[in-house]
Amino acid sequence: MTFFAKFCIPFIVGVVVLFAVIAIKYLSWLRNLPKKDWKLIFSNIISWRTVAAAWEVVCESLLHRRIFKVNPRLGYMHMSLAFGWFLLIAVGWIETVAYMGFKWVPLQGHVFFKYFVPLNGITEHKPLFDFVMDLLLLFVLSGVGLAWFKRLRSRALGMKKTTKHVLFDRIALSALWFIFPLRLVAESITAAIYGGGSFLTGGIGILLSKSIGVEALSYTYEPAWWLYSTALGVFFIAMPFSRYMHIFTEIPLIFLRHYQLRPESKEKSYDNFELEACSRCGICIDPCQLQSQLGINDVQSVYFLRDRRYNMLQQKIANNCLMCGRCEQVCPVGINLNTLRLNSRSSMRNIPNEGRYNYLRNVDTSSGEGKVGYFAGCMTLLTPNTLRSMRQIFEAAHEQVWWADKEGGACCGRPLMLSGEVDSARKMIEHNKSLFVKHQIKTLVTSCPICLKVFREEYKLEGIEVLHHSEYILRLIQKGRLKINYQRGATFTYHDPCELGRGSGIYDEPRAVIKAVGELLEPAHNRKEAFCCGSSVANTAINDAQQLTIAGKVATELSETRAKTIVTACPLCKKAITRGTETQVVDLSEIVAQNLKQ
Amino acid sequence: MKHVIVIGGGIAGMQCASELLRQGVAVTIIEKEQDLGGKIRNWHKLFPTFTPADEVLTAVRHKLKISSNLKVRTGCQATSITAKKVTLSTGEELKCDAAVIATGFTLFDAKIKEEYGYGIYDNVITSADLEQMFNEGNVRLAQGGTPRRVAILHCVGSRDEKVCQRHCSKVCCVTGVKQAIELKQLFPKADIFNFYMDIRMFGPGYEEMYREAQTAYNVHFVRGRISEVSPTFDNRLQIKAEDTLTGRPLKMGVDMLVLLIGMKANAHNTLLSKECQLQMQSSGFMQPKDSFLGNVTSNVGGVFYAGAVTAPKNVGESINEGTAAAHSVIEWLEKR
Repeated sequence: MTFFAKFCIPFIVGVVVLFAVIAIKYLSWLRNLPKKDWKLIFSNIISWRTVAAAWEVVCESLLHRRIFKVNPRLGYMHMSLAFGWFLLIAVGWIETVAYMGFKWVPLQGHVFFKYFVPLNGITEHKPLFDFVMDLLLLFVLSGVGLAWFKRLRSRALGMKKTTKHVLFDRIALSALWFIFPLRLVAESITAAIYGGGSFLTGGIGILLSKSIGVEALSYTYEPAWWLYSTALGVFFIAMPFSRYMHIFTEIPLIFLRHYQLRPESKEKSYDNFELEACSRCGICIDPCQLQSQLGINDVQSVYFLRDRRYNMLQQKIANNCLMCGRCEQVCPVGINLNTLRLNSRSSMRNIPNEGRYNYLRNVDTSSGEGKVGYFAGCMTLLTPNTLRSMRQIFEAAHEQVWWADKEGGACCGRPLMLSGEVDSARKMIEHNKSLFVKHQIKTLVTSCPICLKVFREEYKLEGIEVLHHSEYILRLIQKGRLKINYQRGATFTYHDPCELGRGSGIYDEPRAVIKAVGELLEPAHNRKEAFCCGSSVANTAINDAQQLTIAGKVATELSETRAKTIVTACPLCKKAITRGTETQVVDLSEIVAQNLKQ
Repeated sequence: MKHVIVIGGGIAGMQCASELLRQGVAVTIIEKEQDLGGKIRNWHKLFPTFTPADEVLTAVRHKLKISSNLKVRTGCQATSITAKKVTLSTGEELKCDAAVIATGFTLFDAKIKEEYGYGIYDNVITSADLEQMFNEGNVRLAQGGTPRRVAILHCVGSRDEKVCQRHCSKVCCVTGVKQAIELKQLFPKADIFNFYMDIRMFGPGYEEMYREAQTAYNVHFVRGRISEVSPTFDNRLQIKAEDTLTGRPLKMGVDMLVLLIGMKANAHNTLLSKECQLQMQSSGFMQPKDSFLGNVTSNVGGVFYAGAVTAPKNVGESINEGTAAAHSVIEWLEKR
């Protein structure tokens, strides 16, 4: 048997183009990986990490476990397409082996097996295979059906907004939608003419032969297979240029991630794997407050990644993001959306001015002496209630404190970092770090989560423990160094600051502190799902009125808990929420300082 | 007899009501406080003539003669306003032939600008607090004693995007100059500093008063906003600012800081725009029908405005608008 017919040409061309493009892309990305990343790969490749990565590939690329967690209906849709198609290929291969034995069969022989070997009863296993293949085809078709339905009514699949696509996506999407229905038609016609097929293709085949007649059908036989092959070919050619590149790219991404490769504050070759692993599923759109609360529809992570991938990223898109991390939290591929956006910003506007920060030399406005250093940060200096409360807390705990910036000091560097000016931020970081070392502190406490994040992630402070004031206060309480009067009847609600919660994983400590003072009432969205206050320093694009709109929505949800006081643990969040509500908004340290046992 | 409801019993509302009564129209005034009078009750002397506020209020009150045609409802607010009917917060519905909204403004809450330390440090006060101190004849530091150095900060809650108050509150500049002179009269030896962005002396006699403050009273004016206030070890206040004329940052220890708080649009305006289809400006103040020919007219027939409900205004302008609104109401009633 030759296993070749003219109709196979579109399919063969498609496959050749697909694998050639993928090979070129992956090889060039890998070749351009920095040495550090290659070292990581070599040191990790022969370890349990490879096994763990392989298992994750099965769970994610085939079964789409994470999408299931976010949204079961959407998960089923993706799984039926990915896992169903994979099983069709796998069982198809087994079927060829069962028929031909272990013999080399060209790829099109596997894919169009029904065309080349249509007759029933060739092997005793044929009815069984036909049944399994029909079942799998039905499984995939149910996914295609859901995809069609999703286009019409996205809400039915739990999505308020779906992605707007580019041309290659539309071509690939249309081809994909037709592949399986066309396969059904081609196999049903084959079954009608030659017999075979099971409940699905066989059943439709009988219907067709009865209603249209075998002779009329025979004219449609070849065209049907041509259409099926063409749909496959078009899909394969469009695939590496479209969002469907994610089907393959997620696999190397998972391995590289297990080898500890990560995007960094400057762009690098590894980013390509993350960019092209985005399936543009659009799950990131709904959680975005710029979308849901301000109606801004073209800046979400899916569009950012798309624009960056096709080299058409504009600053106004890159800059219009709160970096709240709500999208990163739900991304089924686990892409580091914030870091990628940051390093894009860095590429677009990191123009360090060498002379600008010369004034920092020898500037030291710190005061006091102690093993514990306190860094207020600029936003705490603008919310002096917090500063005053921290002083009271330190005094009550008899802590000797070195005050880093009570009289004003250098910025922590995070706002510059967030705006992409990474090299300028480094100057701030080096300056502050030298002060911390000079004054020999062992613990660094800050009441600002923005400072906290950059201290922990960029300062590399060896021998100095960095604590948010919520962690520090809780420790003092647990060690008995702070005694607090529990206020019966006092009710508080807590707003999770993005940089503290999703950014640094601190959820329980502030809650524990609040519970030491009074009753805590949780808002509808909290912890990982908490809203952003809207005044994030990461967003330089929206105006104050838009910030206020977001703050108003957040404040409304907090007020709905009917708590008398809104507590947060970030000076910026405090300022933002205060603008949006009549309810009293305070920092965590304030409620502690007000209720100290003397 | 025609019946008009005036919402708000401040100077604009009272002036409007007395004009309407004079024209033979029955009037009901709705006032959310327990007494008529509005904000002017809290002021000490009015710029630029230093006329006691009480004098002006008494004159306006005096004009509003007690008659069977005047009804006053205090302690309640209007929740819905149309030309035919006004609904009160008590749930009551009052029928009418026209309505005038003269609800004025809200003072900006200085606590929102936490960096200035209002409510945190004892000697940080607002311009409204200072008026009250003048009225009580009790201008002194919280710990007792007289101030040797006072800073007056302009534009607190005005022209400040960070608190969503983009507009100019118009009267604070001249109030700052007036209060500086009054302080200087009380404490001739004290240094008084005004920190401003621009000095806007828009009215007759204002510019002259500003000049006099410098020549006759030696009040200092520094162009630059204060950024932060912190306490010093001897319980004074340290302010950080930038002198934008010399382009240098500046630190100064003062005994007292006066915040010239701006005029904020009433939160009530949002309700009016939602419930009654009355147009509101982006600043939150109500939108008059026309800036030239319809300053006291709303976009809804039979509903009029008087005073600071449409924009920051001084006392004289508000009283004039009361008269103008009454005139427009009469015109409207005659056409019916």
